Amino acid sequence: MTARPDQDGDQQLRLLGDAWDKAAEHWRDGMARQFDSAQLTPLLHESRSYLEALRKLLDTLEAAERDTEG
Amino acid sequence: MTRIHADIDALKGLHDALVRYRHAQRDVTARSEDQLAVTRASLEGKASRCRTQLELCQAELGACQDRAARAAEDDSADGTVDCSGYARAVEQSGERLEQIRRWQQRIDAEASEFQVTAGRFAGLLETELPRMEEYLVAIIASLEAARRVQTPAS
Repeated sequence: MTARPDQDGDQQLRLLGDAWDKAAEHWRDGMARQFDSAQLTPLLHESRSYLEALRKLLDTLEAAERDTEG
Repeated sequence: MTRIHADIDALKGLHDALVRYRHAQRDVTARSEDQLAVTRASLEGKASRCRTQLELCQAELGACQDRAARAAEDDSADGTVDCSGYARAVEQSGERLEQIRRWQQRIDAEASEFQVTAGRFAGLLETELPRMEEYLVAIIASLEAARRVQTPAS
């Protein structure tokens, strides 16, 4: 069974977070902090917003299909 | 050697993760659009079938009401014609069609709201993420160049 797109998106978000944690163990200079605050954090924040909105929309689509069956 | 290049390896790992993330989330956005289109088409199909059913029920009710009117005019007719079953069928078909329309309207409204967030996210995937990847490539290249310069002297 294929997972819902929002669930796959969540999984990808976790993988990216893991990759950053791993990289941050070795990359700790000013550029790393700048990258984290100016680029990565906004990306993760926007990704979470998108996935939350997607989850809500997909819930509505599923409810519509269920409620209009028969 | 491994410890010296651990930061470069870590940055390469992060770069690769960003590239995978961009492709995977593009796939997520495409599948989401597909899902929206599939549900819209499904509801439109149900609405269409329901409209046909409603028209059929209305025609049957009309025919019944004609029979009832003729029976009422005909004194010799035996009893009255009951059209309540047809009327109920019209009512139920109308309610079902209205229910489907309400879902269509709700989905249109929510999809319109969703498109604002989705548009921002798509822009991020298409513009910001490649920039981040390029930024990391540049840092990796500069670190590698610096190590190459430092290595003979050390």
